[in-house]
Amino acid sequence: MPERWSDYLAIFMSALAVGYMIYEIDRRQRKLREVFDVLDAEDSDITASLEDLVARGELRPYAGATLG
Amino acid sequence: MPRGSGSSRRPRAETGARRETSGSRSAGVPADRETVVLQQAVVTEPSDRPAELASRETEDSPVAPRFHIFIIDTGWDSPAHKVLQENFALLRELQREDPIFVLGKEKSIEYLRHHQERIGHDPIIAVHDLAAMDDTGTTDFHGFRLRLGLLRTHQQALLALQNFVRFLRMHRQSVDLEADIRRGLRREGFAGAIEIIMHHEAREIGG
Repeated sequence: MPERWSDYLAIFMSALAVGYMIYEIDRRQRKLREVFDVLDAEDSDITASLEDLVARGELRPYAGATLG
Repeated sequence: MPRGSGSSRRPRAETGARRETSGSRSAGVPADRETVVLQQAVVTEPSDRPAELASRETEDSPVAPRFHIFIIDTGWDSPAHKVLQENFALLRELQREDPIFVLGKEKSIEYLRHHQERIGHDPIIAVHDLAAMDDTGTTDFHGFRLRLGLLRTHQQALLALQNFVRFLRMHRQSVDLEADIRRGLRREGFAGAIEIIMHHEAREIGG
């Protein structure tokens, strides 16, 4: 057991630093997933509808050199 | 890292690509020539140089597509929209093996009217992995997407687009794309936190 209050403070600060690190990793991963993530079952309907447009010929590969 | 070309999924992707255009097949045409003819047949002509572009696309893209790339953009006056407009030609050149389907403004608006929770996330680039879709359809992993509209500055959007295109190129032959993506996401989250500790924010793309 720590004997001095400063030891308690050091342990507390270390725990805080580790906690912040874990929080920050999680926050970064969540933020990144908002921007970039996999398509899975949740996106199934959207994917199917887009592929359906392609299959029906309503959407064709874009041949223009620029957008607009 | 790109894997070898011996992926077990590649032939399925090719099959999927052919299936899509099989309705216009003609008898007696050699397979290679037939593929070229079919690709030319499905290219639209919105620009003033349609024939030239279509021809160039097929000459430059003898490889069967692995991905279908969809761009959904309603046209918000945003840095992300501008970045996409300014760099689309480069994106198209770098990714010429895979067809890019651009939902026009009308179709994009219609799309977001049905998916209101995504309003403001566009431009969205959705990449469908034909190999995965041939394996399990759309019920499991079947691609990935970039919500460029969530990035608030020109620099962030450009960096994200560059990273995205790099990822597409590097993982085109991947046999386990899902694992590659999830590994990358874990690494980026960890790297971001390390950079905060090191007081270095240059890699941040999320704002």
